[in-house]
Amino acid sequence: MKKFLVLSLTLFTAFVVAACGTSDRPDFQMMWFSDGTEGQVMRELLERYRDETGVYIELFEIGWDVYETRLGTMIDGGEAPALVRTTEGVMNNFKDLLIELDDVFDTTAYTNIFYSANNLPLGLPMDVTANGLFVNTDILDRCGVEYPVRGDEDIWTWDEFTTEMDKLRDCDDVSVPGVFDFQGHRFMAMIYQQGVKIWNEPFTDSNLTSPEAVQALTILHDFYQNGMISKEVFVSGGAAAEMFQTGTVGFHMSGNWRVSGYGDNDFEWAVIPMPTGPEGHRATLLGGKAMSAVQGSGNEQAAKDFIAWLAEPANHDEFNNFVPFLSARIGAEIDFGEFQEAYSMFQDEINATDPAFVSDWLTQTQIPGMYPMINLMTDRAAEGVMTPLEILEALEASLIAAME
Amino acid sequence: MRRHRTPWFTYPLAVFFAAFFLIPVIYAVMSAFKPVAELRLIVPTFFPRSLTLDNFRSAWNAVPHFPTVLFNTFLVAVSSTALAVTINTMSGYALAKFRFKGDTLILMIILATIMLPLEVIMVPIFRVLRFFGMYNSLWALIIPPAATPAGIFLMRQFLLTIPNDLIESARIDGASEWKIFYKIIVPNAKPAIATIAIFSFMWRWNDYIWPLIAISSPRKYTLQLAIATFQGQYQTDWSSLLATSAISMIPMLIIFLIFQRQFVQGTVETGMKG
Repeated sequence: MKKFLVLSLTLFTAFVVAACGTSDRPDFQMMWFSDGTEGQVMRELLERYRDETGVYIELFEIGWDVYETRLGTMIDGGEAPALVRTTEGVMNNFKDLLIELDDVFDTTAYTNIFYSANNLPLGLPMDVTANGLFVNTDILDRCGVEYPVRGDEDIWTWDEFTTEMDKLRDCDDVSVPGVFDFQGHRFMAMIYQQGVKIWNEPFTDSNLTSPEAVQALTILHDFYQNGMISKEVFVSGGAAAEMFQTGTVGFHMSGNWRVSGYGDNDFEWAVIPMPTGPEGHRATLLGGKAMSAVQGSGNEQAAKDFIAWLAEPANHDEFNNFVPFLSARIGAEIDFGEFQEAYSMFQDEINATDPAFVSDWLTQTQIPGMYPMINLMTDRAAEGVMTPLEILEALEASLIAAME
Repeated sequence: MRRHRTPWFTYPLAVFFAAFFLIPVIYAVMSAFKPVAELRLIVPTFFPRSLTLDNFRSAWNAVPHFPTVLFNTFLVAVSSTALAVTINTMSGYALAKFRFKGDTLILMIILATIMLPLEVIMVPIFRVLRFFGMYNSLWALIIPPAATPAGIFLMRQFLLTIPNDLIESARIDGASEWKIFYKIIVPNAKPAIATIAIFSFMWRWNDYIWPLIAISSPRKYTLQLAIATFQGQYQTDWSSLLATSAISMIPMLIIFLIFQRQFVQGTVETGMKG
């Protein structure tokens, strides 16, 4: 018995030692988060990169909730990953720790670039995200809602949108007319749709308390208060897509990142033009993900070499084609397959957005901690305890204080 | 002698609380077998209308190196538990039955570490792991969490109830300190050992924050880290997440069913709760 125990213990220890050892050690690592299949697509690209160059980059995925915490811990602890997938929020929060990539790729070939204080790029833009309006066409057709489609000359205004969507309130099998994704990103586009920029150049005074901005927030505020959109999203922080996928919600204000996830919806859906303000201004808010290199990883040059490889049109397009995503590379041709019509609508929204609004929003994303501030203020609209003007005055004060 | 009677409401109350805690777990397991469309129903179903294993298949495909991840979790939980039981029993015995200079101070220091949440000391821990060359190694998941302050304290409290006379008489009979430990302390501490073993296994199996700090290679991920990757910025893959969560419950159920008696006894005697 004793011999058996000793033998078992020895074998187990040997097993543990073997399992804890390292084999096939990567040259360096890439930190990643996924909303769908893009992690798998990047892994395949990394395999090809290894075949071509012999450099083994290991991709490791982290849940979004703890993504920035984990990145901060690794950098502070001296184990910075060489490469990291970034959003404009991540680039903003870690801008002093990312490598400027001015000598790595041609910035004129890409859109939606996030710049450092030195006006140098902090990440290679990989994909572009844009806000857009999803509708359950089964419900809208059944309930007699009239709506525009891509190519129509007359796009609906917010007033017309409200009138039409009001029809859903009395329609059978509709749990709530609509849902908005959480949270500030959707609202800021509404300000531009009212025809006003947030900042007056040189970006010191804001228009956040202008009648146009107040009108934008009043629409959102009233939607929450009169039940046009569900408060559940504001409470739970992110169940909008799940609610829309129940097939009992008329519209979902979201973005192109939802398209592939909606592929298996068991109802007919479409992406249609977002409403405009009274002057007919169309606007979507651009966002997206980028590939950044981190300072202090010990593999800075190798990381830059990979980004240069990724910036080559064939490699960049392969990533966006296989997911598929709207590409940040100007002139890229992406095959969206069954989702071609939906993506064309997003492209249409982007094309219809005044470039002045795009650069205005990019200025906004440079403000430290601006996302939590905007989200907090749009939460206030859902709570209904402050007037839209009071909310915007508080937001303006917070953003200006953060800039100073 | 008056016979103690159980009040009439005890059993309905027990059933109510059992249902209160069990229903969400059963619902999660049932949901793992539902088709994606059924997961989205506005009025959710409790039992699946049609059973499917698709969620398990998609989870298996979505997690890189799924079998390795399962194996890592098992290896970490078993090894760390074995180590925890050994260290906690020895430490608890030393603090309960030996008087030496600074023993109370050591106990106080051990207890003080319970007061610090892990999140507060994440960066220092990360640096320590790196200093000892354990970063991104399964050793980092096995060794540091093995000596839990709560485990040492509970073992000490339990061993205080063993009469000193038992140990003294063994010494008079010529037993060595090791022999006393193995022949007297360990057999008498079985309920506490079982409790610590079960809790330790459960903690290590379900641990998320510690592996998150210590591991970065997907080949060394544990199940909880893998589950967290289903959560993206805008989308959560609920079907895969539920399926993987259901898989992660199985070992805990087996362990509990095997050690149920010791677990209940140990919980009652040490006052330990999950």
